[in-house]
Amino acid sequence: MSAVLPARPAAPRPAAVLPARPAGRWRVVVGWAVVLGITALTLVPGLGVEVDLGAVARSWRNGADKVVALLQPDWAFFPRTVAPLLETLQMAVIATAVAGAVSLPLSLWAARTTNPNRLLRGAVRAVLNVVRAVPDLLYASVLVAMVGVGALPGVLALVLFDVGIVVKLVSEQLEAADTGAIEAGLAAGGTQSRVNRAVVVPDMMPGFWTQLLYVLELNVRASSVLGLVGAGGMGLLIDAVRSFYRYDQLSLIILEILVVVLVLEAVSSAVRRRLV
Amino acid sequence: MSAPLTSAAPAGTPAGAAAPWPVRLRDVVVRYPNGVVALDGVSLDIAAGEMVAVVGLSGSGKSSLIRTLNGLVPVTSGTVEVGGHDVTAARGRALRALRGEVGMIFQGFNLAGRATVLQNVLVGRVAHAPAWRTLLGAHTAADTAVAAEALDRVGMLDRAWHRAAHLSGGQQQRVAIARALAQQPRAVLADEPVASLDPPTAHGVMADLRRINRDLGITVLVNLHLLDLAREYGTRLIGLRAGQVVYDGSAADASDRVFEDIYGRSIRPDDVLGT
Repeated sequence: MSAVLPARPAAPRPAAVLPARPAGRWRVVVGWAVVLGITALTLVPGLGVEVDLGAVARSWRNGADKVVALLQPDWAFFPRTVAPLLETLQMAVIATAVAGAVSLPLSLWAARTTNPNRLLRGAVRAVLNVVRAVPDLLYASVLVAMVGVGALPGVLALVLFDVGIVVKLVSEQLEAADTGAIEAGLAAGGTQSRVNRAVVVPDMMPGFWTQLLYVLELNVRASSVLGLVGAGGMGLLIDAVRSFYRYDQLSLIILEILVVVLVLEAVSSAVRRRLV
Repeated sequence: MSAPLTSAAPAGTPAGAAAPWPVRLRDVVVRYPNGVVALDGVSLDIAAGEMVAVVGLSGSGKSSLIRTLNGLVPVTSGTVEVGGHDVTAARGRALRALRGEVGMIFQGFNLAGRATVLQNVLVGRVAHAPAWRTLLGAHTAADTAVAAEALDRVGMLDRAWHRAAHLSGGQQQRVAIARALAQQPRAVLADEPVASLDPPTAHGVMADLRRINRDLGITVLVNLHLLDLAREYGTRLIGLRAGQVVYDGSAADASDRVFEDIYGRSIRPDDVLGT
């Protein structure tokens, strides 16, 4: 007897039909409500921030002159910018190094997984919340009054600003990390601080360096603003050329900061690749 | 087969030369804050140098049992004695000194992945070195030698400078065993040490634990849920069900019937590892 082919499937597979999407029409309604609400907040007088579009039409020409000046950087001004630029870089690097040294132990004290003492942890976190709440420009103003005009108040302001950021980010990273090695260290008879040193520090270093490189970039940007209140760096020069309406010179300064930030970003992303 | 014991070993001798410790539990109850009773009146006597397999389904309390022995899990009532020292009463410095004498091996290896193998093994010396040395990472030549000896014993000496995370699962568990050995422990606790490993690797790691017990005479307690491993590597079998000891006897003699009793159900294919 010859082989018998299995019967052909009688009908082709029916087309796959998606079940109905569960969400109702309320998503669309809420979406439009948010858009309309924000628009109203922007434009309706007395309700929100009172954006006066009329003012834009009346005075845009004043700004346009400045933009034209900004597009023509005064290259001859370069020699006078070198010293302040270097000072800005030095401030940024020193502040990052000091902030790193301070942040490492503080991060370990601020994380639940590396500091079981609720009181000490709460105290560290409370102080850092206050540190983070104060704007860096305010630190600089107060410190200029305390230690005098120059780079020192700028560096101190940057350190405070950096510590707030680094400890927050690194301690959150610690709390998200696996705690198995800590358990093993404690089981071997280590104190929390010794276990932190022996197993937590090696594992946290890449994330820690990443955050430090990030605040180094922030420091270059921030230290050029801090000079406005007398705290050293490019800001002093920015304040001077701005008050003489030399937007062509300001343009050169902005370009230089841009170049420095781009170089830093390239360097830090190259370093980060090696860290991981 | 029991190993020769040398109780009068001088300090600084290779891993395992210290006299092994017996373990004693009396009416131990562990109730977690959420109300779960993990251990419900457990009393046990384990002699120094025994190789004990603790068997039970997950949730039977075997992980809690092993963790009461080094105080990682506090007991609600009852007493735990390790080497004649009361673990339940020990706090702070005394508890850390006690933990320093008891090695522990975990299901998930619990290594610092970015640290080197050697750094991980030196964690086993934390209770034996002054604090400033740990904090500065300035280990003595003697401690480093103990760590190297421990690594050699599990065949991982050539990987000393590799990062732990770059090793395979079986290699990581061997490093974890070396970390426990570097403590020069008097007892080793292993909590499901092969549950994350494939069968051949699992047998290799279990054989390492058996050698620690036979060659060094160290008391070893291993939590297992696979009956063939428990039979093959344990000399004594303790069965836990719902926080109570339901079997305590020779591992080799434990029939499938015994395991069905411990598990409270019939034996299934996934209760054995195979080879």
